[in-house]
Amino acid sequence: MGALTRSFGKPLSFGFIALVAIWLFGLILLPQISMIQRAFQVEDRGGVSAQLSIDIDKLYVRKFDIEQQLKALEQPTAAQPQAPSPFAPSMGQAPAAPSPNDPFAGLSAKKAPAGDPAEIEAKRKALQAEQNAVSAKIADLEAQETGPAALDLRYSLENFTSMSAVHFQIFVATLFYALCVTVLAFLVCYPVAYAVATAGAGNRAAMLLLALVVPYAINELLRIFAWVMILERQGLFNSILNALGVIDFSAGEGFRFVSSNGAVFAVMVYAYVLFMVFPIYNTIETLDRNQIEAARDLGASTWRIHTRIVIPHAKPGIAVGAIMTFMLSAGSIAVPEIVGRGMHPDWFSQVIYRRFFEADSWNQGAAYSLALLVACMVFILAVMAVFKVGIRDIAK
Amino acid sequence: MTDQTAGSLLSAPARRQRSVDWSAALLNGYLLFFFAWMFLPLILMVLAAFNANPTPSATDWQGFTLQWFEKLPRDERFMQGLFHSLLIAAGVIVTAIPMGLAGALILSRLQSRANTLLYTLLVSPVLTPGIVLGATTMIFWRDLFGVEAGLFTTVMAQAAFIAAYCMLMFMARLQRQDHVLEEAALDLGASPFFVFRRVTLPFLMPTILTAAFISFLQSIENYNTTFFAIGGSWTLVTEIGSRMRFGLSPMINAIGVIFIAITVVVAVTHTIMTRKRA
Repeated sequence: MGALTRSFGKPLSFGFIALVAIWLFGLILLPQISMIQRAFQVEDRGGVSAQLSIDIDKLYVRKFDIEQQLKALEQPTAAQPQAPSPFAPSMGQAPAAPSPNDPFAGLSAKKAPAGDPAEIEAKRKALQAEQNAVSAKIADLEAQETGPAALDLRYSLENFTSMSAVHFQIFVATLFYALCVTVLAFLVCYPVAYAVATAGAGNRAAMLLLALVVPYAINELLRIFAWVMILERQGLFNSILNALGVIDFSAGEGFRFVSSNGAVFAVMVYAYVLFMVFPIYNTIETLDRNQIEAARDLGASTWRIHTRIVIPHAKPGIAVGAIMTFMLSAGSIAVPEIVGRGMHPDWFSQVIYRRFFEADSWNQGAAYSLALLVACMVFILAVMAVFKVGIRDIAK
Repeated sequence: MTDQTAGSLLSAPARRQRSVDWSAALLNGYLLFFFAWMFLPLILMVLAAFNANPTPSATDWQGFTLQWFEKLPRDERFMQGLFHSLLIAAGVIVTAIPMGLAGALILSRLQSRANTLLYTLLVSPVLTPGIVLGATTMIFWRDLFGVEAGLFTTVMAQAAFIAAYCMLMFMARLQRQDHVLEEAALDLGASPFFVFRRVTLPFLMPTILTAAFISFLQSIENYNTTFFAIGGSWTLVTEIGSRMRFGLSPMINAIGVIFIAITVVVAVTHTIMTRKRA
């Protein structure tokens, strides 16, 4: 604090502190807290509140009925501009009031007689009175429904404990698959990271790095899309099989590679492997290559050089890569949504999405998000413990 | 004795040379395979953008066409989405950069255990799954202020983690800063504000520009966080995503070609520029 004001003076320091406070509380902590609050909050939909919503539904049906009757009454007589709007019952009170834009509106209404005008007028008056009464009742009940009195809020673990067996299975499966993606991504990318990092400083090294940066910078969705094209029913794989005579397109044959579990898994490795390459590349690059030379001169095998020199040095990079890959694949929604086409077993991120936007159960959605967040935190802590790295090494 | 030593000294490098060649060849072969795996799908996608076939395909060729590109500017939802994306990116840049800069400056002066705690909290959004960030922001703004999910909440959700990236970039730059200039200016009676504006800020200027560029890219390309925080609105990327779920169209390939072209041009320019400087 003292160092801060000494360097930047009081006004600037307070400005910085205010900015960081907004970021820390407004964008990070308070949103998290409101999610946690929701996660432990249960809204009782039974009892009073359920009865209220049934009553409201009934009233809406009645209101619609009245509107229909009114419309039927209006049909033969009224010209379009002055048909009472069903959404503005108060307008209906003065049906003869001509719209200022249409000087002939009043005239045309008078000109169209149908049946006994007095009787119709009386009936309409009665219907309109009922319509107003119903509207008022609806507004009243709706206020009760959203008001604090009817909302029976409790705090409990119910959102977690009520997680169905299916959802729990998906949760565990998602974490397991994410772990597999992480391990596979490491195996695939370690030789690449090593090769690019030890390529020296020539043109070749620059080209290799560029070849990694370009796909890394290309949007995740587009890279997924490229694979969907390959895996589609009429896609590249099936075309090749067709050309080889294994399957016959004209007979409608073709494998459904998309929406299979394997496809989701394979595309996920493809999509997130580069998040593993760069951290490992960065750490291997800082390794003094004389160490490798020395070990080799002393007769160490390639395997031993990697397990005893390169990998220990690259530990922080491997940790970061593992964390990023795991976090991205466990929380991935693009790959299962697009490659899965809703046909393969759900990914947990999809369950969360449906809780929020389809089941309209925000509290449970919040609980599920919290579960995912906690799983990722546990993974991060485990990786930090296993690789013996601190938070400073991770976020670089 | 001497002969033996000389012999082993000679043979060791020779043996090493052979084994190095062998493993280097294996590694090169693997690299070739890896880059083919990375790039072939993208090449197929680019080819299909110029194919007249209405189902995107690089194999079933029905003639060269530019019609998918011509259709893009006439597609209202894509254009509107692009506009939303640009608005969000602008919002993210003006919020994330000052926050990231302030965070880096405070952390560079704060010498205590609070430093590590603050640092951990500020970088935590980078390590949080995107959908969780989107969901928390959505809940927070609706529950506390009644603001429904939309462009504004998307800016807030994206800025939370993009500011952390900016902060890390500023911290890296600040570590290389020599405080002599600042101290000299202060000793000569310059006000701290003047020093900040004339010494610190110019020193950070290149990083501010890089951070702005990276923030822009991160914001435009973001899908997971935006997917939750955007509500009923849409950005270019969420629109691409929702169309992909209902089937493929070569228009998406055309967008892909534009994205790839921009990426390649920027990456190549950046590489050439850094190599010239080096």
